[in-house]
Amino acid sequence: MTETNKNPNLLEDALRNAVRREDAPEGFVLKVLARAEQQNSAANDAQRTSWLSLFSQPALRWSAVAAVTIAMAIGTIYYRNLQRQRAEGEAAKQQLMLALRIAGSKLQLAKEKVNEINTSRPEPQPQNSSPRSRS
Amino acid sequence: MSTKTCKLVPFILLLAFPAILRAQELKLPPGVEKLASKAKETVEVNMDGPMLHWASKFLSAEDPEERKAAKLVANLKGIYVRSYEFSDEGAYSAADVEVVRAQFRSPEWSRVVGVRSERDGDNVDVFFKLENEKIAGIVIISAEAKELTFVNIIGPLEVDQLADLGGEFGIPKLKTKPQSSKPMAKADKGEQK
Repeated sequence: MTETNKNPNLLEDALRNAVRREDAPEGFVLKVLARAEQQNSAANDAQRTSWLSLFSQPALRWSAVAAVTIAMAIGTIYYRNLQRQRAEGEAAKQQLMLALRIAGSKLQLAKEKVNEINTSRPEPQPQNSSPRSRS
Repeated sequence: MSTKTCKLVPFILLLAFPAILRAQELKLPPGVEKLASKAKETVEVNMDGPMLHWASKFLSAEDPEERKAAKLVANLKGIYVRSYEFSDEGAYSAADVEVVRAQFRSPEWSRVVGVRSERDGDNVDVFFKLENEKIAGIVIISAEAKELTFVNIIGPLEVDQLADLGGEFGIPKLKTKPQSSKPMAKADKGEQK
């Protein structure tokens, strides 16, 4: 049997001594705050490495602006070319239709003249093919 | 000829080459080309194969007239039109027209219609170019009192398409009317020259 078992007061004292209140050591709060700050900055660093954070670099930012400007310029030129081609195509179509109308009208005139002449010609006399009767 | 002129000749030929090519089928004499300055209205259409192909892309399939036009020009190699409308009669000479007509008095061309009207002075000639018994080109020369028109269509053209050409595009099909007056016109139909 140990000494504490022999004397209950000694056990009580030992427990009281173990759970007694003690003040935090000097600088403990500062250490905790410093650790928290360190963890926050590590999280921020992780965010910066995402694709959006690339634009935070000036060279990349200007490259992106230049790329967007060039793409817009190319798009505008392409659209204007498309519009111009469409207008030229419409004009060519009108020319084509005009040419066909003129050709059609002149063919019609030729047909009209031929029909006019055919209808105004005297009908050919039917030949008398009946055999003459001998007298 | 000086050396300088000799050097210029290839450049002149190079510049004139597209015009020579373009006028390969229907050659209009300078006298006719000058008529544009006298004309009240001038229509000049020059459409070669690629141009026709490109223009036909803009023809609407929903419009029946344009749909027929697209079918008509699908295999054509060129359409050339010169039309001059004058304010007064006698703006051009018969000799000018005769020069153009003479180009088609060759074995490969057949004059299918030739109308000479003494009454109203309307003269119309239609020439067909036949290849393997199929129409490979049409030339229409219409010399009216105040209007002179040359049409040259190059390329294969079916007969039904030809009928379309004569009866569509806003021009009503011809209905024969009986005439009571004495004829004053001469017509050659199916004449081979």
